[in-house]
Amino acid sequence: MIFFKNWRLLLFAAPALALYGGFFLLPAVQGLRYATTDWDGYSPAFTDVGLSNLTDVVSDDDLFRNALTNNLKFLLVVVLGQTALALLLAVLLAARSRASTALRALFFLPTVLSSVSVAFIWKFVYDPNFGLANSLLGAAGLDRFQSAYLGDEATAILWVAVAQIWFHAGQMMVIYIAGINQIPEELYDAAKTDGAGRWQQFRHVTWPMVAPATALVIAYTSLQSFKAFDLILGLAGNPPRSSLDVLSTRIYTTFTNSQLGYAAAESVIFMVAIAAVTLLQNRAARMVHG
Amino acid sequence: MRRAVLALYALLIAVPLVVIVGGSFKTTPELFASPFGPPSNPTLDNYVTVLTKQDMLRVLGNSLTVVAVSVPVTLLLGSLVAFAVARLPRWPSRILFAIFAIGLAVPAQAVMIPQYVQFDRLGLRDSLTGLILVNIVVTLPIAVFILAGFMRTLPAELYEAAELDGAGPWACYRRIAVPVSYPSLAATAIFLIVMHWNDLLYPLLFIDDPDKRTLPLALLDFQGEYLTEYPLLFTGVVVASLPMVLAYAFLQRHFVAGITAGAVKG
Amino acid sequence: MNRRDLLRLATGASAASLLAACAGPGGDSADKSGKSDTLSFAHWRAEDKEVFEKVIAGFTAAKVQQDISPSNDYQSTALQKLRGGSVGDAFTAFRGAQFLDLAGAGVWTDLTGQALVQKYEPALITAGARDGKQLGVPYQLVFNTPLANTDLISKAGVNAAPKDWDGFLSLLDKLKSQGVTPIAWPGGDAANAGQLLNVMVVNNAPSDDALGKIETGEHRVTDDWFLTVLKQYQQLAPYFQTGATGTSSDAAVALFAQGKAGLLATGSFQVAGVRKLGATFPIDLLAPITTTADKAKYEGVFNATFILGVNAKSGKQDAARAWLEHLSDPAVAGVYANGTAQHVTVKGVEYTNADLKALAPWLSRKTALAPRFQFSNLDVRGAVENATVQVAGGKSPEEAAEAAQKVIDQKK
Repeated sequence: MIFFKNWRLLLFAAPALALYGGFFLLPAVQGLRYATTDWDGYSPAFTDVGLSNLTDVVSDDDLFRNALTNNLKFLLVVVLGQTALALLLAVLLAARSRASTALRALFFLPTVLSSVSVAFIWKFVYDPNFGLANSLLGAAGLDRFQSAYLGDEATAILWVAVAQIWFHAGQMMVIYIAGINQIPEELYDAAKTDGAGRWQQFRHVTWPMVAPATALVIAYTSLQSFKAFDLILGLAGNPPRSSLDVLSTRIYTTFTNSQLGYAAAESVIFMVAIAAVTLLQNRAARMVHG
Repeated sequence: MRRAVLALYALLIAVPLVVIVGGSFKTTPELFASPFGPPSNPTLDNYVTVLTKQDMLRVLGNSLTVVAVSVPVTLLLGSLVAFAVARLPRWPSRILFAIFAIGLAVPAQAVMIPQYVQFDRLGLRDSLTGLILVNIVVTLPIAVFILAGFMRTLPAELYEAAELDGAGPWACYRRIAVPVSYPSLAATAIFLIVMHWNDLLYPLLFIDDPDKRTLPLALLDFQGEYLTEYPLLFTGVVVASLPMVLAYAFLQRHFVAGITAGAVKG
Repeated sequence: MNRRDLLRLATGASAASLLAACAGPGGDSADKSGKSDTLSFAHWRAEDKEVFEKVIAGFTAAKVQQDISPSNDYQSTALQKLRGGSVGDAFTAFRGAQFLDLAGAGVWTDLTGQALVQKYEPALITAGARDGKQLGVPYQLVFNTPLANTDLISKAGVNAAPKDWDGFLSLLDKLKSQGVTPIAWPGGDAANAGQLLNVMVVNNAPSDDALGKIETGEHRVTDDWFLTVLKQYQQLAPYFQTGATGTSSDAAVALFAQGKAGLLATGSFQVAGVRKLGATFPIDLLAPITTTADKAKYEGVFNATFILGVNAKSGKQDAARAWLEHLSDPAVAGVYANGTAQHVTVKGVEYTNADLKALAPWLSRKTALAPRFQFSNLDVRGAVENATVQVAGGKSPEEAAEAAQKVIDQKK
């Protein structure tokens, strides 16, 4: 029975595999079965509807498409905005000093809060009449920039993205700082000898050298953007209106609307969407890095 | 320029937090009359209400129970897998790793519906046990990634002497791999604590019984029917966040290492 | 048996039960009712918690624990929770979709013929009856009709409620010229934004069940009568507070309570909240009459909701019924009514609360049962109500209606 050396090590993995297989992989596969029914989640009876749930989700469901669009917008803004901000902060704080250590700690702080807390904080920031944002704009004489924020149909999801960036930029900053600190000082010295200014140093030394960190930050941020469930539920209420709906909240709403089979079908498409985004990112990363 | 950018962002982080903490010491009329000024007549009433009437102590206890069980178990199971991944020959190791890698790419929101049915049928849904179990399976992949990433870097020579003395895999795991991986385990632990402490999805989905609510769920419940009382909400935010913020203040370096490890590997 | 066999056995057994649990759709959840001696009373009104504690103190037959979740969560999750039986031996339900869903899942026990039913106004508890059975008794009587700060309104030179749409718009103009926000509307809060729809619909609709017919497909939101409703929202938009579509319920209440808004477009259930913020001005109800005076059928909207019931899945049905009887006692109902500033459906209750007394004339006015609760599909209701918010936010009524109708066609 010895297939290879150390096969007993498989026993080490057995308990974890059993739990993870039984309570994560198995339900994930089982979801496919639910997706082909019209089960409401509680009745003993249900009908097999074949692939019609799946085709409906893909081709005949404005609410799902709207949630997908919002989710992609959200993802794009968070990935670009958060990555750029994290890199900027990291460049500014990479040098060690007492002040920079303190600021790093402050910028990282929101990460340890719960999404619900962050949502409540931002709900108050965005309140059009009593909130922080409009009050500050008003005090600064910038009334014309005041907004309804989460109530503004076209931009609502972007304001959620701002809250998300506030929440997690510090975490990504730390990854960048680690990346920057690994860059050999000689590279900068050489660039300086060549007469490179600060921008050129960044362009030709820092940016290419933090490429692995960038890949990590983007991959993680994307996955996080798909998970923005708690934040949106806290900010938008349950169920969120269409301008704030994303895929995870759409699935949850469908489920609470007693359409478990259809919610399972939405989950299947959700997984496909994530796979597609991941694939695209890998492609893009390969193109950028030759 | 550098200073201006940093100062601006520091304000962006600090001002909302200060307003929230200040608001927790105000009455509702005062908050709406002057949302940003310091509390003119600081009151602890909100804290009394939150801690006594809202069952916050019980809720805190639930959150503590969940984290106290699910984090060590995830660490144990995850480190066992990581050890196997590090010590198995190439292909079995790759396959084992790949199985857990799937879990990283699939967010919980995509499997929550069938999980709901499964836990419901097993009678595990409306219970802390179920919550603990689901926390474990959902975060196992991340734990495996961080820990395997570290254990793979340990040279095989580390174990050779012990194996010559006749030590089996279990002894190698317990006497060598675990002690050597201590920093990595600590980082993973912190990442898991923050994840499990702050999770809303599964409590929302699974927990019916108000006595079994965890902090984020109780916080969400603060939004009353026809009137949300912002000061109470803010107080809830402060109470729910305080344990993590305090821990962060004292274990700052470990927090940064842990959460970042989760991001890097997850 | 050695350790390894034990392990194999354990994994084998758990795998089997796992597979069984995943066997497929249909079937029932694990039963775990009746775990303690405390009676669980499930409802969604956190602000009534203290008054209920008083009521509970006077109830000796059992210990009662309130299990409260916020209304939107209650709306979406109560069915799942109640049918498990771990929560809500006695419970409450919203009129409409939730009441019917719970009936479909067999959660109500039949109360027909029980003595407690006789204590209610028969006309007000029809929302708790189905197929000739009294499954539950609506407890609260609320007016889903905008609140008016009568001080501000008389200061604007208006002394009688406008009888038609033009009159209403001119009232709003006069309020605006006084420098106050004519209408505070919580457009950012889905649960409360939709309250205004009630009064906007009742006089415009071709029949009393018109909103329900939107869901069945007999009516469309692109029909003329609903477009009229949307166009009227468009006319109201300049009179809402700034950022109305992003305003939460609490902020709208605060604006009204601070005397910065003439009307609060929600309903009588928020009077207590307004008072809690320190408002001392007299409050009346004032519904926009959306038609000409001769076509107006209703002066406002009421709802009989908070439907009390005994959970058929509970192991403590007798105690739950006793608790309902306690609540149905006119004296107890009076404590609840006066303590929460809400009218009740129980007969012979004496209202001592000043606001309840002031609003008492509305009990005999011509009001319609709130039509918003005719929807039974959350997505359909969301689409219709979202269209009104979109129009208030600047979208054209035709476009908003068309987009909403498309969703309704897909989801009904």
